Amino acid sequence: MFVVDLIQWWYFRGWGVYLASLKTKLGDTLDFFSIGQLFRTLFMPYRQISAGSTELGGPSAFFDRLISRLVGTFTRLFIIIFGGFLIILEAILGVCLAIIWPLIPLLPILGIALTVMGIRL
Amino acid sequence: MNNTVEAFDYNSLRAREARLGKKLNNKVLQTVILTLILISIIVGVFLTLIHSFWCWLCFSLAIFLGMLIFWIKCELVSVPVGRTERLNDVLSNDVLANLPRNPKTKDLASLVKHTSSGKFLNVRYGISSNMLENIAASLPENPAPIFATALKIKQGTDSEEIHGAIIAVSIIANLEGSDYLLHQMKLEMVDLLDGIVWFNYLNGLVKSIGKKRHSGGIARDLSFGYIPTLQRFSINISKVREGSMKTQIHLPTHKEILSKMFQVFTSGGRQNVALIGPEGSGRSTIVNALAEELLDADSKLPNSLKFRQVFKLDAAALISAAPERGELEGLVMHILGEAYAAKNIIIWLENAELFFEDGVGSVDLSNVLLPIIEAGKLRIIMTMDRQKFLEISAKKATLTNSLNKIMVPPANEQETMKVMQDQVPFLEYQHKVSYTIWALKEAYRLSERYVHDLEMPGRAVALLDAAGNYAENMLVTATSVRQAIEKTEGVKVSLAENDHDKSKLLNLETLIHERMIDQEDAVKTISDALRRAAAGVRNERRPIGTFLFLGPTGVGKTELAKALSEVYFSGENHIIRLDLNEFVEASDVSRLIADPTEDEFSLTAQVMKQPFSVVLLDEIEKAHPKVLTTLLQMLDEGILRDARNKEVSFRDTIIIATSNAGANRIREYVKSGTNLTSAKEDFLNWLMSTNEFKPEFLNRFDEICLFKPLSPADCLKIIDLIIEGVNKTLAPQKISVALDEGAKQLLVERGYDPELGARPMKRIVQKSVENIVAKSVLSNETSSGAEILINRSMIENELT
Repeated sequence: MFVVDLIQWWYFRGWGVYLASLKTKLGDTLDFFSIGQLFRTLFMPYRQISAGSTELGGPSAFFDRLISRLVGTFTRLFIIIFGGFLIILEAILGVCLAIIWPLIPLLPILGIALTVMGIRL
Repeated sequence: MNNTVEAFDYNSLRAREARLGKKLNNKVLQTVILTLILISIIVGVFLTLIHSFWCWLCFSLAIFLGMLIFWIKCELVSVPVGRTERLNDVLSNDVLANLPRNPKTKDLASLVKHTSSGKFLNVRYGISSNMLENIAASLPENPAPIFATALKIKQGTDSEEIHGAIIAVSIIANLEGSDYLLHQMKLEMVDLLDGIVWFNYLNGLVKSIGKKRHSGGIARDLSFGYIPTLQRFSINISKVREGSMKTQIHLPTHKEILSKMFQVFTSGGRQNVALIGPEGSGRSTIVNALAEELLDADSKLPNSLKFRQVFKLDAAALISAAPERGELEGLVMHILGEAYAAKNIIIWLENAELFFEDGVGSVDLSNVLLPIIEAGKLRIIMTMDRQKFLEISAKKATLTNSLNKIMVPPANEQETMKVMQDQVPFLEYQHKVSYTIWALKEAYRLSERYVHDLEMPGRAVALLDAAGNYAENMLVTATSVRQAIEKTEGVKVSLAENDHDKSKLLNLETLIHERMIDQEDAVKTISDALRRAAAGVRNERRPIGTFLFLGPTGVGKTELAKALSEVYFSGENHIIRLDLNEFVEASDVSRLIADPTEDEFSLTAQVMKQPFSVVLLDEIEKAHPKVLTTLLQMLDEGILRDARNKEVSFRDTIIIATSNAGANRIREYVKSGTNLTSAKEDFLNWLMSTNEFKPEFLNRFDEICLFKPLSPADCLKIIDLIIEGVNKTLAPQKISVALDEGAKQLLVERGYDPELGARPMKRIVQKSVENIVAKSVLSNETSSGAEILINRSMIENELT
């Protein structure tokens, strides 16, 4: 009865629970890298380091701002690429596991069968 | 709702899972399973390497155990509720796990103690397992009515599931006469339903602990500037709140204020908000909630406001770092410039008055702040006391006109209870105790009356916090709260309720007459009124008793007040005496209600310090009409507002006003042999016709007592009391005095004055008896342990 209950849960609620936890994990990773926020502020000065000099105006302020924006854009692009890669990797692995989810309960049976048949690796 | 409830299905999947979860939800077992998984994998890999076909068995075991642990963690630890409203779908995990195959009512009563909510109800509301089992014994065996009531309670309390506390309340609700039982416990059914809601709330908090809050991640602050100086002189509230449990906003007014603040900060107008309200009304809670909401990545706030951070400026740190005015102004300008340039800062000036007036720990920075506030570019929040705000408004109208003012009113009882319930888990964690519901109720009741420097809900929470130090057996009860207020506020609030005090009240007349003679009617009237008050037959929103004593001087009016203080409040020092002949000017009202910091002997200051007292207002007829008008509210509602507009409670005082008005008329009544009780109405009508007292003033008193002049026979008894007093004074020297009848008669002959009552008696005893004793002691005629017998001739010699 106990094994039947486990299998029944695995194919119905269990699958849903796994997908929900995958969604939460992806949400947490997205929040950590905050890709949306990075895109929105892609060309903004890095840490407002030029803000103080903007009041003075003139070419010096313009170049200050420009450098600050370049540093900001470069930093954000780096995080977007690195974060994006990790998020995609996590999503692919998660989806793969979700796809093979129905096959997992069959693996122990398969293992027992292989043992009985005496198949070696 | 249909009363027929589907029977409990012992073999349903949820029930089976709950029972299995009860067995498997065991840390040791789970550790064993995890270890087995690890061993299986290691052995499997080893067997693979040596080309053994047994490796498949090891991997099979590891996968199966992995599935099992996933099932335990995700499902069995807490079986989620089903999708329907059927009984089996809504019973909580711990109820399902403990229900037998064919449950009877007594089984339901027994399982409550195994559930977390049942334990909650036991600790906080005193609903013990024994009590439930006793109730269940008198109910039908069939549990269907209990389940039917439980379903109704679940819906009524908006609960997600039927847990142990709901089952417990349902059992009580099914008992005939449950109201009587609850009244014995000083509870009502609504309290228990409130307890269920409270448990649901705490349970929700516990569940939310593991959930991660989205707050913007690593890119959040990349586009905002550095703020090194601001960081040095301020506290980042957003950072502090980020790592804490979410601030709960229970009060509808606070929610409204929060939304108004968002409105101000998203509009194009001046970016400032001044939260004006008394301390303790929740101003800081609102700012904390705002800081959390701003950092919530999932909120619907516009991008112009999202991820902004609140920094609380530290006035003391600023002043100590830059003691010179010019230096300080420069520093503040620099900090505010930094905040503006960073583009994500909201400055919070807590107790903003510290920045707008010179004083100890405060400095007037209006010249720096005013242009910034008027420009409205930098976001600023100010929190301020209403009184302080009015003071600053009077001096700096331009400044206050530039602010977006939002009033923060104090919370009512229901709201305060909610806030206290919210704070209890933190206080329990801090003090390592548990709070009962009676502690919360008592904290509200007592703080409302005796804590004057804070407003609700802050003052109730502060008292609850203090009570954590007076827990007994790790339980904070109503007694702990009473002890806390007695120790922290220095007020005695525990009115003795033991048998000794009850007998005191029953024998009040006898006890009073131990120290005063005659005035039977007045003493009886007062005693009856106080017995009614002690028995609970009184309006809690008025003083214990308000009495007007009318009669000639020296007949025992003040003495009765003192006797009452000694008998009722267990000490003659529990008397607050005011001679109203010192309050004859209209301006004297301010002396009556002066702030304790300005005059610690004002009426309000003394009552604040000692609320359980007899307030004796001597010679009330001499007070200015404005003073009398001020006292009306005190007589009527038991409340007087002091100079700072704070309510001071007189609800635990006995107020006695004395007056000589109409003394001659009282003497005429006595001379003509008229009974004073029957002549009282006629006398009061006459008194009102003379305009001595206005009818509305006289009507404010519970009782008006007429004191008759003392007769020579009364004076003889008074001499006995005076001699008793002399003997008490001489007791340390082991000397006593006794007077024969002749001596007493002579003292009465010389000391009796119908106009002045007993007063001259004291003087004459002092002049004669005390002088005789003094001479006798000094001439060594009297040794320790001796009794000095005084006769008529000795008195005669002394008085000539």
